[in-house]
Amino acid sequence: MGATMDGPIHVPQDGDAEALDYTKAAPPEEPVTPPGRWVKENLFSSTSNTIQTVIFGGLLLVLLRFVLNLVFSEENNWAAVATNVRLLMSYNYPAEQYVRIWFTVGALAAAAGLSMAAWQLHPRISVRRIGVNLLGTGGVLIVMGILTPGATPSSIRIGMLVIGAALLVIGAGLLFGTEDPHLKHVSFTAVLLTISGLIIAFLWLFPLGKYLFIDGEAIQEDGTVSATTKGPWTVTILILLASLFVGRAIGKAIGGTRPLRLAMGVWWVIGPAFLIFLVLRDPEFDWDYVLKVDLPLALAFGLGGGALLYALTKPTFADQARAVGAVLMGFAIFNWVAAFFGWYAMLQKVRFSFLALALFALAAPTFAGEKSARLRFAGMWLGLVAVGHWLITGINTPSTLDITAPPFLGGFVLTVSIAYYVMLASFPLGILLALARTSRMPIFRVLSTIYIEFVRGIPLITVLFFFSIMLNLFLPNGMAVSELAAVFTGYTVFSAAYMAENIRGGLQSVRKGQYEASDALGLTGVQRTGLIVLPQALRVSIPNLVGQAIATFKETSLIAIVGGFDLLRIADKTIPAQTAFIGQKRVGLLFICVVYWAFSYSMSRASRNLEVKLGVGQAR
Amino acid sequence: MPAASAHHERPPFWRNTNVLKWGVQILTLAAVVAAFWFLVSQAKTNLDDKGIPVGYDWLNDPANIQLGEGIDTVPDTMGRALWSGMVNTLRVAVLGIIASTILGIVLGIARLSNNWLAQKIASVYVETIRNIPVLVQILLWGVIVASLPELTADPGEKRWFFASQKGISLPRVFYADGFYQFVALLLVLAIPIWFVRRYLKRKQELEGGEQHVGSVTFGLFVLAAIIAWFANPIMAWPRGVFHAIEDAWAEIPQSVMQLILTVIAVAGAAWWIKRFLDSRRTPAGLAKLIDDDYFRMIFAVVGALAFVFVVWVLWPGLSSWIINSGSDFWGWLGDKFGGDRGSRPLDGMRPTVTEGGRFVNYAPTGWTLTPAFAALFFGLTFYTASFIAEIVRGGIMAVPQGQNEAAAALGLSRGQALRKVVLPQAFRIVMPPLGNQYLNITKNSSLGIAVAFSEVVQVGQTLYNKNNQTLAMYSIFMVFFLVCSLTISGVVNYINNKLKIVER
Repeated sequence: MGATMDGPIHVPQDGDAEALDYTKAAPPEEPVTPPGRWVKENLFSSTSNTIQTVIFGGLLLVLLRFVLNLVFSEENNWAAVATNVRLLMSYNYPAEQYVRIWFTVGALAAAAGLSMAAWQLHPRISVRRIGVNLLGTGGVLIVMGILTPGATPSSIRIGMLVIGAALLVIGAGLLFGTEDPHLKHVSFTAVLLTISGLIIAFLWLFPLGKYLFIDGEAIQEDGTVSATTKGPWTVTILILLASLFVGRAIGKAIGGTRPLRLAMGVWWVIGPAFLIFLVLRDPEFDWDYVLKVDLPLALAFGLGGGALLYALTKPTFADQARAVGAVLMGFAIFNWVAAFFGWYAMLQKVRFSFLALALFALAAPTFAGEKSARLRFAGMWLGLVAVGHWLITGINTPSTLDITAPPFLGGFVLTVSIAYYVMLASFPLGILLALARTSRMPIFRVLSTIYIEFVRGIPLITVLFFFSIMLNLFLPNGMAVSELAAVFTGYTVFSAAYMAENIRGGLQSVRKGQYEASDALGLTGVQRTGLIVLPQALRVSIPNLVGQAIATFKETSLIAIVGGFDLLRIADKTIPAQTAFIGQKRVGLLFICVVYWAFSYSMSRASRNLEVKLGVGQAR
Repeated sequence: MPAASAHHERPPFWRNTNVLKWGVQILTLAAVVAAFWFLVSQAKTNLDDKGIPVGYDWLNDPANIQLGEGIDTVPDTMGRALWSGMVNTLRVAVLGIIASTILGIVLGIARLSNNWLAQKIASVYVETIRNIPVLVQILLWGVIVASLPELTADPGEKRWFFASQKGISLPRVFYADGFYQFVALLLVLAIPIWFVRRYLKRKQELEGGEQHVGSVTFGLFVLAAIIAWFANPIMAWPRGVFHAIEDAWAEIPQSVMQLILTVIAVAGAAWWIKRFLDSRRTPAGLAKLIDDDYFRMIFAVVGALAFVFVVWVLWPGLSSWIINSGSDFWGWLGDKFGGDRGSRPLDGMRPTVTEGGRFVNYAPTGWTLTPAFAALFFGLTFYTASFIAEIVRGGIMAVPQGQNEAAAALGLSRGQALRKVVLPQAFRIVMPPLGNQYLNITKNSSLGIAVAFSEVVQVGQTLYNKNNQTLAMYSIFMVFFLVCSLTISGVVNYINNKLKIVER
């Protein structure tokens, strides 16, 4: 999947009317207008404009007061959230093993830093924009400080007023103190360093108070955030910065970021699985069994399959490869049928391996070529076997974690994991459905259309209920699936239909000439789809896919209804049931609103930047 | 060269693309059907093991549940309970669609306003609300409504507006006895108005100038409404007509109805195939038909035959059901006319507290939003409005500036340009995604389960927890939501086709 991202994408050529202009810079910003003129032009330019200012100004005051009343009402006990942050983030993950969570966070931070370097994320931000943003934030903070209800703690009210005034002064200084602020730019690194410094300073210096839960009793102390929170977060931020600089150094040293991008692409596909199933879950390997059974099995499949695939990718062996692939496929399917009827026992891992090998053998003619290409294909297989076998073994090994309730994932960790894996799992399924729906083969098209329209016509919640209640009903005797896995399956099935529609939009934007050109080159159907059509189609559908990722992330909240302990369930049910915080629903819900908002909003901003960078918006 | 082509060999059958293509497809179809058959038979075995009969007979079982609100809060049968839940779903969906459209249009236009404050407020609203899950918002509204003051009014007290923990209550307008007579008279009066309108339109086209087509029609219509308001008792005569139709309809023998349905299905398929072939006709004769075209035609024929099979063999009761319910419908309509009915078409009422500290839900005591309904309605409306605002903004921005300039060059006024040039084009762009949002509201209304609103999924879940009829219940859910989806997309497609630019 990492490969599709940097595959040979549309190369701009002379005479190509829709060639993309990568060099196109962001539109120039306008110079700063003096405040008096600005107010007259934007708020009181005509009668209707003045009326709008009055109406919307009043509305703004009413809305702000409403929201502040919600946040700082006398009934709210924000200690309910402050004490339960760990519960909200990771549910009942054992405290002794908590270093695993921090390791995961650190690994993700490192990967994020390296990815920023790999995809050369360093937008230049103009002084004008910073000034305008500071000015706006400061103004809103001061208005909030004045409007906030009497129940607000005085420290917060004064904080709002003081910080707001400070931001106003700094913003005004930047805007009106510097010459031509719209032409001066600040580097991304400087902004990142400043923000990181501010966060670290806030953690270590600001007297937020310590909130602890000891033996079911909520304890509240003065001072800064507890060291078990601020320490790891400081390290995480430092790791992020360090890996960003290391990534840039690597890019400079090898004279390009392509290998790094490939590596990071692969990591983002398989890395999170390792973090979830090997780091967080901590399987207790039975090394004796691993050495006797698992390792030889993996070696046999990896090396034997690799040799077979190396042989089959010989350009003259296309027919043999298809024959071998067909035989293997028959055998693999037969294994599953046999499993259903219980004819003979076989490790699930072996069934999967045979199926994968059959698929690889069928795809071999497409990858046929020179020695290096064949070696790379065999290497891909080897990598897949290594990763797949390790993961399956890890998942099937009992965990060492001492958890009272069965699911080891909960809270925000569960929300993110489910969203991530639903997207990842529905991606290949969505591509297949989209290809089937646009194919010229009628039965495929009808089947795929029925599936997509059917799923899109029903609400997600019924799909989730259906799978969580019914999946075990459909399985033969003796087979069962955990509730979380059932919900995950249902969500994937649902998401794939939407994914297919998004990818279909991309497929339809690929021009006919591309198909004709690849036919003229003598490519096979599979090659044409995989090498010419899909890379272009996926690139066009990136904005829609990010939109779907955001929707998927938001809709994981529905898991709370079908029984998973996600962020919403904890805020809505668990915290209000604690004796110390009976009925404190509102604060929890407001808090998770902020969490969901922060993630969705930053994703949508990132996608907009990506769109501009790829020039996708213009190309369509 | 000719020798080479003469020696053109046919590929062996396993490399023949036609054979491969159809082979793979048929194998896939077989695999899908086999998997389905396997899963369903497995489910049936599992259900039989648990002693749960598969079927729909339980719809007539007594329900023994109480719903929070709806047309029937203490339903006799399970089927009635589900129906009540469906009506609740539709209620919240329709109201949500109307409210979110209005709010969304206002916000979308505000985002394009030249007023800085309006623009900022609208964009902050959109960027905040659409990035928070709708379920979280619904729950938050639930908490907010629950924290409203207690209802302290005495029984019988009337006010214009109540907002309390028991819900929010507003004045209500409802149909009174004369409503159907009123509508019927209005339809009759609309005929001459239509002729006047056609006459004015022709005059406008022939002579130009301003003939005030729109305002004259509107004025006449208002006049007709006033006349119909008072004179509607003269429309008592349809009672006899509709009851006569009721009797005649009930007399239709079942076999005749079966025959009629058969003719409709066969004629429909024939008409479709003819239209399809016409579309493939070129000036140079019929275009070459590909596999796919044959497949479509075969599909139409098979579909029609399957329907005929259902009508005659599988479910002969369908015809008598159509006869009975058609007859019932005409009888119901007949009862709405004449007799000793009052003549007032509409009536209104202020919210009234019926007992100490309690409204009677959904009774004629004002229009009450129960806490659950209010939470779901606010959550859905505010969330969807943020998406509709973006759609409206995109639609208006997508109309090229040249259109405005061209309208000005033709001498249209600003208002005319907006009404006749810009908005119709924006509407065309906006319509399909808007339909999608309406679908989303309908589907998201199933989240009412989180605030215990008695919509169809919540009622259904309560019922299958009692009798374990999960499989049948899910099939009902799916059919219900599919019908809703198809209705909405049908309406949207219809409007879309009406608005489509006619090309060559």
